Amino acid sequence: MINKVDARGLSCPQPVVLTRNKMKELGRGTFEVIVDTGTSRDNISRLAEHEGWKIECKEEGDEFILTLKK
Amino acid sequence: MLKDILKKKVDSKGEEARGLFVFQEAGQAIRAEKTLKKAGFKVRLMAPPPHIRTGCDLVVAFDLIEQTVMTRELEESGNPPLNIVPVSDETTSPLELCRVKDFGGYLMVRAANMKITVEKGNLKIVNISGGGCPDVPYLADRMIGKTLNECEGPAQIGFSLCAYTLNVAYEEIRHLLGGAEA
Repeated sequence: MINKVDARGLSCPQPVVLTRNKMKELGRGTFEVIVDTGTSRDNISRLAEHEGWKIECKEEGDEFILTLKK
Repeated sequence: MLKDILKKKVDSKGEEARGLFVFQEAGQAIRAEKTLKKAGFKVRLMAPPPHIRTGCDLVVAFDLIEQTVMTRELEESGNPPLNIVPVSDETTSPLELCRVKDFGGYLMVRAANMKITVEKGNLKIVNISGGGCPDVPYLADRMIGKTLNECEGPAQIGFSLCAYTLNVAYEEIRHLLGGAEA
């Protein structure tokens, strides 16, 4: 089962903090982050890029599902 | 007589009384702070108390005793204040520009509408957000992933009001987390 971080409803920078914690916990692998603002999507994408994680974004209604891989 | 005047400008705690230079725009407040600091005055950019907000979310706090000479300095620089407000009580006290929030392993400092978040253990910048200036994504891209000791300050790499306020947050978080001296 894929690791998930549900960061919906959280304000900046909490989605980034949760994502960073998951990156550190896993080291490498795949996990998903669910957010509900474009700002959170952009902030997480920026962090992922700088930390060497590949990121794919899927928009579902008002939510964004980000898949991070390393 | 001069002694009496000076005495009046010292409050009951023995501290010098303060005043606030109020401007129409934040850029003017920033320019005034630079002018006055360059002239050797001790001034500080702060957030105005709610009832004197003019649309500008910055004021310059100063020692009231130097009001006349500082006002003249600003007038000569072509940037006179819109208003001068003495700080008489809690309702006229300016607010600290920076707010700090602890997220366990991370610390966030917010200055006006700009935020910087740093991982405490390694001083790595993990998030830059806020503001509406076009250089914010550029600033974020240049700073995220670097440590406080590695990256240049926002004021060196950006020129907008957002870059300036982010620089205030950056200096504060360096101070709090013990990054290299600015």
